[in-house]
Amino acid sequence: MKCLETEKLIGYAYRLLDEPAASLVRAHLGDCPRCREIVEQHGRLDAVLSEWKTEEPSPEFDARVRLAVEAQKSRSNAWAFRHWQWTRGLALASLAVLIIAGVVWFARGHLGVSDSSRVAEQKPRQAMGAQAPAQVANLHSLAVPGDGSLRPVQAVHGNKSAVGFTNEDKVTQALEDYDLAANFDLLSELPKGEPRVAN
Amino acid sequence: MGSYPNPIRPENFMSFPQLFRGQSVVYNVATMAIENDLDLMLRVRDGDTVSFEILLRRYRLPMVSYFRRMVRDQGLAEDLAQEVFLRVYKSRERYQPGAKFTTWLYRIATNLALNAIRDRKDEVSGTPGDDSDGGTEFERFIDPQPTVEQRLVQGDRERLIRQAVEALPENQRAAVLLHKYQEVDYRQIARILRVSESAVKSLLFRAYETLRIRLEPMLREGRI
Ligand SMILES: [Zn+2]
Repeated sequence: MKCLETEKLIGYAYRLLDEPAASLVRAHLGDCPRCREIVEQHGRLDAVLSEWKTEEPSPEFDARVRLAVEAQKSRSNAWAFRHWQWTRGLALASLAVLIIAGVVWFARGHLGVSDSSRVAEQKPRQAMGAQAPAQVANLHSLAVPGDGSLRPVQAVHGNKSAVGFTNEDKVTQALEDYDLAANFDLLSELPKGEPRVAN
Repeated sequence: MGSYPNPIRPENFMSFPQLFRGQSVVYNVATMAIENDLDLMLRVRDGDTVSFEILLRRYRLPMVSYFRRMVRDQGLAEDLAQEVFLRVYKSRERYQPGAKFTTWLYRIATNLALNAIRDRKDEVSGTPGDDSDGGTEFERFIDPQPTVEQRLVQGDRERLIRQAVEALPENQRAAVLLHKYQEVDYRQIARILRVSESAVKSLLFRAYETLRIRLEPMLREGRI
């Protein structure tokens, strides 16, 4: 009679076999004391291993877990708060950008009119000759304000009626801010130190 | 009983301190004890503290026991068990009810334990004589002719069993501890260890046969 592989015997001892395989082992064990001894040894091993007991967790274990979880919760809340703050900041910044963009769009429409008016205006001024240097000098002085103030804005505002702003009373503070930026653009087109119309 | 608040409803959720003061908690915990792990974990995912508490009570002993057998050090075992529960809580929102809850739990635990064992090995490597309560006594124990003085008391038997298990390769040790002491089915062990079922059987065969040989003196009829 051929003995079974040790793996089969161990599998049987620890109930790792499916039923057809287990019944084959069972049949063999009835006739084979050697294989039966191996299975019995594993049965005793199983009992011996059960002698290794562990104790209950220490009394403070549950409290420690709860504390750790509560601390984690606080950290999550703090993170959520920071995240919310960040998101709110981002939303406000986006809103500000939108407002500025809207204002730019609104004002650029009007500035387009003012630019063409200005070009149209320059011809007669150049023809007048004497007036042109004065205009350029005015612009030049805007480009390099002696006291660093925001005079360019005021200067352009001063020209508003001349360049077609008919509803300037309704212009908002934001629009004035835009004018400041637009003026820097305008001034940057001028050759530095040499007035465009000097010759 | 019907007049008790439903512990599942958000307005009846309690924080941990409340949970352990209120009498209704006894009811809450009792009624939810029959809830399966998956439902509890889904409620934890939705922010239910009571369900987390039930999972903690249900698995505190299995977790601590598993770690005590895996890493020996009692303090470390509790630290690691605490870490398992914390990780469960932290990842509650990502929890997907696909696998069995205990598969997930034991996978976290096994990874933590194996990492801790490796860390400790790194720490003590090059420190000879660490196994102060080990080898010599074992050799004395397997002496085929033990004297009366050498008879082992229960604590010694436990220590010898522990040493025999600890001497197994890590994956065999994890498989045996899960199978024998945590009573986890070999199919589930395969999912915990991410190996095939036949690989788990092979791990268990080798581990149990090694243990049978190492502990053979203890398997003789009667105690030595
Ligand atoms: Zn046989």
